[in-house]
Amino acid sequence: MDLTVPATTPANPSLPKGECTFADILKHPDIADRFTLVRKYFYLRESTYDMTCRCNVRCDGCYYYEGDKQNVRDNVDPEAWRKLFSAEKARGITFVVLAGAEPALVPDLLEACYGEIPLGAIASNGLVKIPEAVGYRIHISVWGDDATSERVRRAKRMLERQIEIYAGDPRAVFVYTFTRENIAEARGVVDQLAKHGCKVTFNMFSATVGYAGSLTHTPASLVDTRKAMLALLADYPEQVLFSPYSAAAHTDALSLHNLYSCPYPRQNQVQFGLGRSFRQYRSDLTWVREAACCVPDTDCADCRHYAAGSAIVTARMNRHIGSPDQFRSWLDYVDTYLAVWVQGYGKHSNLCAVPAAPSLALQNGAAR
Amino acid sequence: MERRIAEILIQELKLENVTPDTFDVSTDLVKELGIDSMDLTTVVLVLQGEYKVKFDEDAYPALTSVRAIAEQIRQLQGMVS
Repeated sequence: MDLTVPATTPANPSLPKGECTFADILKHPDIADRFTLVRKYFYLRESTYDMTCRCNVRCDGCYYYEGDKQNVRDNVDPEAWRKLFSAEKARGITFVVLAGAEPALVPDLLEACYGEIPLGAIASNGLVKIPEAVGYRIHISVWGDDATSERVRRAKRMLERQIEIYAGDPRAVFVYTFTRENIAEARGVVDQLAKHGCKVTFNMFSATVGYAGSLTHTPASLVDTRKAMLALLADYPEQVLFSPYSAAAHTDALSLHNLYSCPYPRQNQVQFGLGRSFRQYRSDLTWVREAACCVPDTDCADCRHYAAGSAIVTARMNRHIGSPDQFRSWLDYVDTYLAVWVQGYGKHSNLCAVPAAPSLALQNGAAR
Repeated sequence: MERRIAEILIQELKLENVTPDTFDVSTDLVKELGIDSMDLTTVVLVLQGEYKVKFDEDAYPALTSVRAIAEQIRQLQGMVS
């Protein structure tokens, strides 16, 4: 089943066929309205922070326990973290992503950070309640049903406990990570989350450099995952925070970097946008530019991570103006990312049911 | 051209306390006005349509002032004509 279509005919009849200007695209009222809404968030400028090397589970394929970042000595001083975040705010960072190994294990550091920069998200396995005083978005990682979690993450009753802790918590978004092996479990998990009123979005397992396990996607599993994502989006519209273009972009045969060119410093030497401002801090408060991206030590050739896409696809607005539908697809993607990451931003209806092919953005990039 | 670019900047980014005639074409858009990369990209896309040119992404970091933007457009138009 082909789930994408090429860019549609442009709106401006005075231009040669196949060309339309950005101004032409913005003449469509639905596009203009949505663009006006999302561009209010263009000021978001992110960096990420590993809060601790400690974790309470051990997941096969965990990106944290790869590379050098796991070997540093944790800085456990809340005042040191407060000073860092104060400096981060001064250099223009407006959105923070707090990650691991497991940030819920250091609540005092989370509070120190929140006191300085109140916009952000925490990536957690959801087994320890983060104090309500920390008002960040909380992303709860789900890698399948409880049987799978016990096998892959060495944690018993994981989803059951995550729901016990976070159902009804307005901060929480459950992030279902599709692997090669858990596609068929997604419906049961989403149904269980939906029954508890939980919000859900989707992620793609992305292999770390040198990963040799069984979770890596294949061409067939990418197609199956896309079908599953779209079906769940259709069947659970109130719970699932996603879009058809999100599904297309994250299950393409090409990784996000190969489709859109990753703008994080690890792959981008240009001092513009994320290449200039993004840092990935380790738990000892140091950072290394050459390694800096949102999910360090991931194999860029396999990266389809939802966190990566939130920056990569959003940053490539200029590659999505080939047609009104292509721009609608991009707007849906951005609307999704804002709903997933920004506390208080509600997901809007998707503008484009059959999105433009992600490869068109690649062509637009290659044409420059 | 510089005046029109300033006009677009003011309009798109809702800049206050400045007019197209008072906009200093040398002002650093990022360091002095705090314009972020997404807003600059928006302006670039509008200018592409206005002047029928296509900016290379690699040129974005150099678009630091109205003067720099105008120079880039003139170069691109020279390449096209």
